[in-house]
Amino acid sequence: MPPSPCALCKINRALILRPKDHSKLCKPCFISVFETEIHHTITTNALFHRGEKIAIGASGGKDSTVLASVLKTLNERYDYGLELILLSIDEGIRGYRDDSLETVKRNAEQYEMPLTILGYAELYGWTMDQVVEQVGKKGNCTYCGVFRRQALDRGAARLGVKHVVTGHNADDVAETVLMNLLRGDLPRLSRTTSIITSTPSAVSADPDSHTNIKRSKPLKYAYEKEIVLYAHHKSLDYFSTECIYSPEAFRGSARALIKNLERVRPSAILDVVRSGEDMAKLVPGSDEGCGGTCSTSIPLAEEEEGGCGSSAGRTVGSDMASMEQQLSQNENVSEAGLEVEITSKRVDVMAQRHDRLTDAVPLPPRKKGQKVKGQGAAFTPKKATKQVMGQCKRCGYLSSQDICKACVLLEGLNKSRPKNAIELGYEEQESETPKAETTNMTNGMNKVQLGPG
Amino acid sequence: MPGKHGEDAEDGVAQLCRRCRENTAVLVVRTDPLCKECFLKYVHTKTIKRLETFRVRNVPSDQQRKLLLPISFGVSSVSLLHILDHHLKTQQTKTRRTGFVIIVLFVDTSTVDGNVPRDHLLHRIQERYPTHAYHSAALEHLFSVASPDITLSNLLPNAAASADLSPAGKLTALMDSLGSATARADVIATLRTRLVVARAKALDCEGIVWGDSTTKLAEKTLAETAKGRGFALPWHVTDGDSAFDVTFNYPLRDVLKKELVTYSTLVEPPLTPLIHNPTSGATQPNMSSKNTTIDDLMKQYFESVEENFPSIVSNVVRTTAKLQIAPEAASRPRCTLCNMPVEEGRFGIHGWGGDQEDGLETLSSGSSTQFCYGCTRSLPSINVAGQ
Repeated sequence: MPPSPCALCKINRALILRPKDHSKLCKPCFISVFETEIHHTITTNALFHRGEKIAIGASGGKDSTVLASVLKTLNERYDYGLELILLSIDEGIRGYRDDSLETVKRNAEQYEMPLTILGYAELYGWTMDQVVEQVGKKGNCTYCGVFRRQALDRGAARLGVKHVVTGHNADDVAETVLMNLLRGDLPRLSRTTSIITSTPSAVSADPDSHTNIKRSKPLKYAYEKEIVLYAHHKSLDYFSTECIYSPEAFRGSARALIKNLERVRPSAILDVVRSGEDMAKLVPGSDEGCGGTCSTSIPLAEEEEGGCGSSAGRTVGSDMASMEQQLSQNENVSEAGLEVEITSKRVDVMAQRHDRLTDAVPLPPRKKGQKVKGQGAAFTPKKATKQVMGQCKRCGYLSSQDICKACVLLEGLNKSRPKNAIELGYEEQESETPKAETTNMTNGMNKVQLGPG
Repeated sequence: MPGKHGEDAEDGVAQLCRRCRENTAVLVVRTDPLCKECFLKYVHTKTIKRLETFRVRNVPSDQQRKLLLPISFGVSSVSLLHILDHHLKTQQTKTRRTGFVIIVLFVDTSTVDGNVPRDHLLHRIQERYPTHAYHSAALEHLFSVASPDITLSNLLPNAAASADLSPAGKLTALMDSLGSATARADVIATLRTRLVVARAKALDCEGIVWGDSTTKLAEKTLAETAKGRGFALPWHVTDGDSAFDVTFNYPLRDVLKKELVTYSTLVEPPLTPLIHNPTSGATQPNMSSKNTTIDDLMKQYFESVEENFPSIVSNVVRTTAKLQIAPEAASRPRCTLCNMPVEEGRFGIHGWGGDQEDGLETLSSGSSTQFCYGCTRSLPSINVAGQ
């Protein structure tokens, strides 16, 4: 078989089978088409404006390394006029983060960008290793995701930066779309498909507040495989180890599906992203969820948006099993007609037992009863599910509750810290039943709820 | 296998049925051990509950409400026919009237699919449930002169040369032009829906009762999402107004596929002889990705999820039912293939955020043939021709 020429330049020999559409390209054409597409994403979505200072959330992994490299290239080539800096979060995972942070330090030199490293220990008083020691490996992604989200915003605020870009790629977005369908979480599906999210400035008069940070994903339409190819052909220096704490069932399951879909039809990843954007418009009450296709409204950021890129899980351990258990109990209850609608605000905690499927923290009261309707779902009027965002009373961070998720999680951690030394069977209990840590946090939460509110 | 059988329960001691508390349980449904009678009742109740708008008292005395039941001879549609037949007989006995009548329609896709049930099943089923009207229609009928669907002819790769082909020839030409197993399965399913809708209207039916189980609806939700049809998802899976002026009803939406499999064997006499089993292996992982379709993938996926997490399957379906289509959507221009209304500027695969090429978006607008995102993916030849 004669070597086929590159489908674009028609001159060089094609050496790369492009993952996105299986076209045959030569190396320079692949590099150029990859960069041009990201330029296209940036310009059509008007992600940046001249003179803007941008913090790149850098983990040392392939996504953020490629993002930094491409942004530097494009900034110079097309004269965006951006000031680019690197911002890294040290979760405190020994053997994983130590090495990847070294990579980020080298990247900072290679790309001549200033680097700031901010640690969980410094921000929260807990490293992830300590958290895992405390709560076990189940559910740790919840802590990591919640903490990281705030950490990037806090770091950005500290540096006087209003815009953080992350390395989320098309595979991540597609995975999140499927995962939220599987978990039945439409509001989150509609928010996470958006290319730009923002924490609202209205809640804070202070212009330097960390509640006023814009987030965007310039790699939203870039395939993970192409990111790897790009990094390889540009000989980028990145750290290629997945987080040692593995993702949980819902995300793992969605990820496997995405990989299989890609095998069957290469465009499927992009097609899922497209579906996600379109479905965001169908979510009741989501004036915010335009899926990044309208420029007038910018969706609110997720309070605890997972930031691992490749392995962000934010749900409680063995999440599928516990959600299954919860749902089936709800079904039994609604079928037996035992459900009583309770409207008093004080009993929110009780009503929320139905909602505590994925997050062991208080959910907004508007969700009450939503999942309980069970069989009658099709006949009940569709409710708008809009969150009202305010500020956490403790740390001032964006939150739909009085107390933000990070503070709730921290309270749970701190409360059990001294006890841990004397309470013997504690850890054992936790690792056996995924419910155990929920209970633990529920206790914390009860206090929170019954206090001022 | 469906449920766990009572004898397999932890202690090995036969359990009592959770509902009647008299008979021995023969299987565990969701979390309850049930006896055979109570299980059959459970499936009936779940199904009939979805058809409350079709009660006897809702029928004007001077007319009969007609519903079309498309039958594929799979477990679900045969079970649905059995349940509805039983339900109508009960109504007849109790009130001497029925809330509706059903017309059974078999769409014969044998021209393009070698693995379809043969006529003998239609005869058998007619013998067993003789009171209903039965129709059979070949898929290529969509291309026949009697029902000239002009826009569909535009799908053919070379419209001029294929003008003289027989309807079956046209259908085959269309299938041959498609590049993948996923595309073929997708186009067959889309055409099948169109034919069923056309027949429902021709037969003066106010609605269609589809046999989709919870599991099937969950599969569809994820498969259509993966095929880029998120924009039209509610029209594919929700009860009520469809995009086509007839209502879509999914009475089995609260019954899992595995429950229907059990149901079909426990009914007396069993429904098994009426059910078409595609040459074995259809649900086995067929990982030669060349022949695997997105629909297959989702089928395999939800068959495994259903095993351990049945409530998650139901939750996917319940959640999707909450998506809302804008009221004005029905008046939007339609996709030439699937006939779904498409928002202005959202035809084709170009001209959105994920489209990485400039300047292609304006090309197809204004043409009489326009395809939604999902159909454009399945029709690459037309996509190329459009450029």
